[in-house]
Amino acid sequence: MMETLYYWFHQRQVGRQLRRFDMYIPENLADLLDYLDAHQSGVHLIANGSDLINRIQRRQINPKILVDLSGLSEFSYVRKDGKTIKIGAMTTISDIIASSVIDTRHDVFREVAAQFGGPSIINMATIGGNVCAASSSEDLLPVLLVLDAQVRLRSKRGDRILRLDDFLKGKRIIHLNPNEILVEVMFPELDDYSVCAFEKIGMRNSLIIAFVNSAVYLKLDKRTRRIETIRIAFNRVAGKIPERAKRTEEKLHGQVVNEHVMKEGLSSLNAELRLSSDFRVSSEYRTDVAGVLFKRALNRCAEKLLGEAVIV
Amino acid sequence: MLDDQAAIEKVTKGRQLLVVGKNIERVDSIDKVLGKPIYTMDIVPENALYLKVVRSKYAHALLKRVDVSAARKYPGVATVVTAEDIPGINESTALLPDKPLLATDRVRFAGEPIAAIASHDQAIAEEAVDLVKVDYEPIPAVFSPLEAMKPNAPQLHPIGNIAKHMKVRKGNVEEGFKQADMIVEGAYQTQFQEPVPLEPEAGFVIPEPDGSITCVGSLQSPFHVQTGIAKILSIRPEQVRVIQAVTGGAFGPKSDEILVDVFGMAALVAIKTRKPAALAYTREESMIGHTKRHPFHTTVKVGVKKNGRLTAWEATMLADTGAYASLGPLVIMRAIFHTTGPYVVPHVKSDAYCVYTNNTMAGSFRGFGGPQAHFAAESHMDVIAKKLGMDPLDLRLLNILRPGTLTATSQVVDEACGLEECVRKAAEESGWYRKREQFKQMNGTKRRGLGIAIMYHGNSLGPEGSDYAAVHMQIEQDGTIKFRTGLTEYGTGATSGLIQIAAETMHLPTHYFKLEPPDTDYCTDTGPTVASRTITIGGRAAQMVGGKLYQRLKEVAAEILGSSFDEVDSSNDTYYVKSNRERSVSYRDIVTSAFKRGVSLKEAGTFTAPKCEYDPETSQGTTYLQYTYGAVTAEVEVDTETGRVQVLRMVTAYDIGKAINPLSLEGQIEGGTVQGLGYAIMEEMIHKDGVVQNPNLADYYIPTSLDIPEIKSITVEYPGHLGPYGAKAIGEPPIVLPAPAIINAIDNAIGIRLTEIPATPDRVLIALKRKGEVKA
Amino acid sequence: MESHERLLDVLRDRLGLKGTKEGCSTGDCGICAVLMDGKLVNSCLIFAVQARNKKIVTIEGIGTETNLHPLQKAFIKWNASQCGYCIPAMILASKDLLDKNPTPTEDEIKKATSGILCRCTGYLKIVEAVKTAAQEMKK
Repeated sequence: MMETLYYWFHQRQVGRQLRRFDMYIPENLADLLDYLDAHQSGVHLIANGSDLINRIQRRQINPKILVDLSGLSEFSYVRKDGKTIKIGAMTTISDIIASSVIDTRHDVFREVAAQFGGPSIINMATIGGNVCAASSSEDLLPVLLVLDAQVRLRSKRGDRILRLDDFLKGKRIIHLNPNEILVEVMFPELDDYSVCAFEKIGMRNSLIIAFVNSAVYLKLDKRTRRIETIRIAFNRVAGKIPERAKRTEEKLHGQVVNEHVMKEGLSSLNAELRLSSDFRVSSEYRTDVAGVLFKRALNRCAEKLLGEAVIV
Repeated sequence: MLDDQAAIEKVTKGRQLLVVGKNIERVDSIDKVLGKPIYTMDIVPENALYLKVVRSKYAHALLKRVDVSAARKYPGVATVVTAEDIPGINESTALLPDKPLLATDRVRFAGEPIAAIASHDQAIAEEAVDLVKVDYEPIPAVFSPLEAMKPNAPQLHPIGNIAKHMKVRKGNVEEGFKQADMIVEGAYQTQFQEPVPLEPEAGFVIPEPDGSITCVGSLQSPFHVQTGIAKILSIRPEQVRVIQAVTGGAFGPKSDEILVDVFGMAALVAIKTRKPAALAYTREESMIGHTKRHPFHTTVKVGVKKNGRLTAWEATMLADTGAYASLGPLVIMRAIFHTTGPYVVPHVKSDAYCVYTNNTMAGSFRGFGGPQAHFAAESHMDVIAKKLGMDPLDLRLLNILRPGTLTATSQVVDEACGLEECVRKAAEESGWYRKREQFKQMNGTKRRGLGIAIMYHGNSLGPEGSDYAAVHMQIEQDGTIKFRTGLTEYGTGATSGLIQIAAETMHLPTHYFKLEPPDTDYCTDTGPTVASRTITIGGRAAQMVGGKLYQRLKEVAAEILGSSFDEVDSSNDTYYVKSNRERSVSYRDIVTSAFKRGVSLKEAGTFTAPKCEYDPETSQGTTYLQYTYGAVTAEVEVDTETGRVQVLRMVTAYDIGKAINPLSLEGQIEGGTVQGLGYAIMEEMIHKDGVVQNPNLADYYIPTSLDIPEIKSITVEYPGHLGPYGAKAIGEPPIVLPAPAIINAIDNAIGIRLTEIPATPDRVLIALKRKGEVKA
Repeated sequence: MESHERLLDVLRDRLGLKGTKEGCSTGDCGICAVLMDGKLVNSCLIFAVQARNKKIVTIEGIGTETNLHPLQKAFIKWNASQCGYCIPAMILASKDLLDKNPTPTEDEIKKATSGILCRCTGYLKIVEAVKTAAQEMKK
């Protein structure tokens, strides 16, 4: 007998226009914080909309009130504060890469921007929007994770600072209280001994939603070539959000950067990564290519620091 | 018909072509670069209602109850229409009467329209969609032709699951296999390719005071819409006026049933409310609702002699046509006629099945069966070459169609066959032997390869239907020549080409001509704008009518100049007496004089191509009146670590008969080639249990400007007997060959024979892994 | 104007500027691109209220019938416009490029237009048109 096929209706429904909702436009930060304190549910914050509009269209959220943050221009900045780089949440990707603070040492941001998807996308995407979207499509997240970034959250009651990996709870779930907004992302600047590289792969050469992407941060003792710190992140490791491959990081810690350590890293990743299949690609492919991207990113790090790649 | 051609060409014989063959600017470019409001949704009337469609959630289900009462009552909703509101026949089809406009008791694909909601505010209509309660009883479904053809499969239609079965029987394949030294088998699979016209389907309907309606929309076939809507509303076709607005891309689906869907629903609302009603599909609706390229599963068995001569070709093609057949039966017809590729094969046995499944619909899309047939044939030729230890180019040259040989349908190839020249030129330009030798020596993680694929493409409709086109031309008092036809422009530049042909026939510069929008009130039935037939068939009509008008002008000129008709000739816009060129009169003066005398400067005509006769049991006969030939090479680089394929360079060589506008022609070739590249390596509409997983442009990948190869385009001209000046169809051919050429190049690069497209990085890498070492 | 209206909706429906098109509604095709304060953005991803106090340039602001912008002339000359639907966005993106980089390489032209999808042309003639326009504008 034939079984009845139960149909799981995909969330991406057909033909969605935007539904009606109210918009609150704060004049300044103080008003905004008051407002958030007062309205703690049904409110969604919007930076430049890229991600949010899609989610409304897909019926993933149905906001009653949207709060427009685009007028808060005081949160668009890239600053150096001692040895920390601080980027305002509302800074667009194109503004980040145009900033002189993001010098050649921090070219990793340019590597991300180059594969983001054309000028119109980087002109609108904000670092805050990327971080709060908390999904594996946000290319900045693996980079920020390996840079050991922190986020500053502000409410009427004051600021609190969280590590980025603590802030990201799960797919589209962040540790943001309803009365808070993300105001700043910070990370220690890269110096003569530390570099960062980013690799991405998708189906085509632009407008790419990555199958896999990878960021590697490497801090070396240049003389001994020993790894002082290595941080490795992918857009997915075991769950559905960008994470660091911490077990592999631990294994490689303190080792000399060479072909052998590369192989060890690859085999460790193979065990650590729990990448799933979806309609785009298989988990086998993702895992294999994650390894390749790690190798390429690590090579580039080595090249940037030592002038030569580790392994061809 | 062919005599008319000769007569017309005698008129222009010996003359330098004035505009044909020149890169004249397209007549519609200026409005487009200025961003003028010319597309359908730019010109919707102010007080129009907007529709939103309620669609099936299930791929296969009985509809127990459709309750629109809550939606009807929702504030701001003007009306809700269901099948009950249809005055005429609930049918919206392309060929077979198998598809309703709005579902009544059963839905067969996820996304099938059930009802439509209209409101002045699109957001309100949107919200009301959720209030429609539909009770579904899901029933067993099938999602592949193989499953659907099994004896116990759920039957989707009264005729069962096979919408059409076509056969080619030439000679005796068993004999052919006996003569072979080697028999090579293979199986090939292609995917649903989504056309992605950048402007999704859109249309609006205005109810007229006299009970008729006016439909304006983004469409390919105004007359198909006219007859379809008339049936739905139970009114006469003359009461349905259809006008084509400027259309932002089409590629096939806009000629099938989808515009009947759009206008049908809008018309129901318009009639009910007596207000204009507009329906613009969102990208997702467009991708789910309109027709795509049929996935084909093709199994092949070919007999070949040691020296490479093909002796027998046996094939079975299973085409997934989705829930409703659309033009599937004609797609398999074209595919099966081209089963073997452009080769001489004495014995052919081919069976093609157009099979229903509960996937979304497949139908017309540029190429129309040609890409699928050639993917199988041209992949297989490379496989055969490898088994024989022969160079794939040499194997092809040994077997190609040449004048005097017979096609798979036993049609004699005439002298208008530039296939050999195309193959040789493409191979030479690509550096065939040298590069392939070079690439064998490569090591490292990036490998390069060079592949070739060749084709033939039967022009125009062939036996798919009556092949005719109508043109109307009318000269206004100021000398402007209004050119009207039911053939539609949607980016091909073909209608601008028609202007060039008319201008050439009348030996006038093109600036006198004004192309009017296709409007069923002002043109006679011209058939659909498909099958790349605008220039070939429409061009003949343009010549015919232009020729008649030219006669008229000459008559008037003769009277003015006081000479005989035969004594008059013209050059540019001056008419003169042959023996004394000083006796002349300008075109403008002729027109003025004609108006004064009451001489009508208005002509119309329909050109009908000769019918193509073939035996339906064996497909033997004259299947097409003319063929376009081509060869394409692709040079690729495969990253063996990630499976990504970059197409670096492609050489395309086509026998186009006669280039009416070389620059536009190049544009068609380049555009089609890039679409073919997408088909080869990145495009795939993925269904899971009948639900489209990627109905959006984020997850359905079409090539971006960074994905394009260098394209070197070569054309040769072997004028055919059908098209004006011997022009051949070029709209569709360019999409046919990139896929097999690229797949063959990948094989050359990494020694992997991919039998399924698209060759995504996943497929390539996993294939490499399974095989082991990378081999040259 | 309502809160849920996007910049694209306001441009087309409220201001009657139909030159900016909607290709996908999800920000994946670039067809709706406009220049906002000199930056290329996708107008379908911006709520109209967020564009307050900003200078918006659409295709209607580029050239006129009697005074075509060099880009428009070049697009016509090269038959770079086929169905025309991506053309307003392509012209704006190219203008943005040429304003910032008057002598772009072919690669730079492709990158500047990489966020806009075209299905008809295969991009090649568009790139040629931009090259020609760049040369014209240098004079």
